[in-house]
Amino acid sequence: MPYEFEEVLETIKMTEIEHFDIRTVTMGISLRDCYDRNIEITKEKIYSKILKYAKNHVNYAEQVEAQFGISIANKRIAVTPVSIAFDGLNAEEFVEVAKILDKAAEDVGVDYIGGFSALVQKGFTNGEKELIKAIPYALASTERVVSSVNVASTKAGINIDAVNMMAQAVKKTAELTKDRDSIGCAKLVVFCNVPEDNPFVAGAFHGVSEAEVTINMGISGPGVVLDAIKTAGNVDLQQLAEIIKKTTFKITRAGELIGRKVAAMHGIPFGIIDISLAPTPAEGDSIADVLKAMGIEDVGAAGTTAALAMLNDAVKKGGLMASSSVGGMSGAFIPVSEDQGMIRAAEKGHITIEKLEAMTSVCSVGLDMIAIPGDTPESTIAGIIADECAIGVINDKTTSARLIPAYGKKIGDYVDYGGLLGKAPVMKVSELSSNKFVGRGGRIPAPMRSLTN
Amino acid sequence: MSLSEQELRKITLEAIEELGENATPQLVKEVVEKAVRKLEKSGQPSRVESSDSGRVILTSFGMNHPGIVAGITKALYEAGCDILDISQKILSDFYTMMMVINIGSSKKGLRELQETMNKVADELKVKIYLQHEDVFRYMHRV
Repeated sequence: MPYEFEEVLETIKMTEIEHFDIRTVTMGISLRDCYDRNIEITKEKIYSKILKYAKNHVNYAEQVEAQFGISIANKRIAVTPVSIAFDGLNAEEFVEVAKILDKAAEDVGVDYIGGFSALVQKGFTNGEKELIKAIPYALASTERVVSSVNVASTKAGINIDAVNMMAQAVKKTAELTKDRDSIGCAKLVVFCNVPEDNPFVAGAFHGVSEAEVTINMGISGPGVVLDAIKTAGNVDLQQLAEIIKKTTFKITRAGELIGRKVAAMHGIPFGIIDISLAPTPAEGDSIADVLKAMGIEDVGAAGTTAALAMLNDAVKKGGLMASSSVGGMSGAFIPVSEDQGMIRAAEKGHITIEKLEAMTSVCSVGLDMIAIPGDTPESTIAGIIADECAIGVINDKTTSARLIPAYGKKIGDYVDYGGLLGKAPVMKVSELSSNKFVGRGGRIPAPMRSLTN
Repeated sequence: MSLSEQELRKITLEAIEELGENATPQLVKEVVEKAVRKLEKSGQPSRVESSDSGRVILTSFGMNHPGIVAGITKALYEAGCDILDISQKILSDFYTMMMVINIGSSKKGLRELQETMNKVADELKVKIYLQHEDVFRYMHRV
């Protein structure tokens, strides 16, 4: 027998019991050649280009799924940040672009399309200002389009003007989508040090240095890691790190295999594999449960940040050994609404925004899918975004904020989206004012560590 | 020798590139056909990736009862699959079996075979999984 019984059973157990799946296979498509003076022609070019490359995306992914018996939860598309490809448009026209992206996504059968984005960490072009203005309207009038804006980087510092504009955009989006628990905000993320090859929504876009078209993928697998930790029993932390590494190695190898197969079927290059542990609202597919299995009573207990740091690091080490194309965010995600364990901890008051903020300094993303009271002032949202950016800028890492100021809701209420976006209790935000600080505007200069040359 | 869709596509793209501006659908077709004939004549093995080796791992488990192996192997025989290796374990009433099979000679593809096996699994009241060998090779062999 070329494989041991245990090996085969381990794989079957991962895929059938422990929810191991490929979280997303995302096709990145450049739209840089789609601009035309006539907006109608621009739209037509965008639509036909996406259809040209992605028409078989779902079909091929499904074939590979069947071949290897590993499910691919999501098939998605990322395009060039539209502010870069279509800088000459105004806000109304950007909304039109969002609508055509939405239609293209629907017609090829993907659930999300990323790239309604701008990179404004140092300053704005006129087009980028228009795009940010268009975001709330674009998200309110489309289903599948997701938007991200990078407002800070270690090299450029924090563009507080952009932070303020984004706080405004987040509030407006919440208002325009109030009929559906402000769902627009679940599709809008503000970044610091955004990776250009991230396959996960809402932050996915096809970076300007990327090839014409590429396949990136994100693995999942908190359930697999959870089970490995539980099986390990009472071992010391060094041994535990080893177990996490080995497990991640295996799931990353499987992920890379699948990504390369899908890319080969399309005849396009394979880009990166993002080794983030991404939870889903399914029971047992939770990062919070992994942290609890490591030994803390609940997320929010003292030691949570240390446990998360160790988990994140072990995941990276295992993943790096397994693939030479690691990229994207690559760490552990700690969204609140998308993780049953996090939801429970938030309900019990075990985690607060402040503790989550501390955790984001050691994990791969940031304050993610957190519902806050609808009457939170813009300046407070801007302050939270600025805090996250500061963590990212100083530690030279990606951070983000995907906040949902749930329109008309207060602490203790819920936003409930069902599906992958899940459900979240509205959490308390500090009532102290940040108005005068963020109101100064301008840019927080790049830190010492930006001068690495 | 049959070429995979992928390889045909590659040959076609190469032909288009070579022909440059002269490429017409008819011309491309001729060049591709010629290239394929030449490849077939030379008998040079196409660069088949291991995924096309046709080796599939079948795993089955459930409560033990007579006729499970018979049921599975009968279906495999009817589909024209070749069993390369087989191994089984029984732990009290629970049985586990794995097989390495070659589906290269089968008229059915992996997907159809999975469907057939799902029916067999329902009849026998056990679980049957068919997965391409590569997934095990990638996960458990460095």
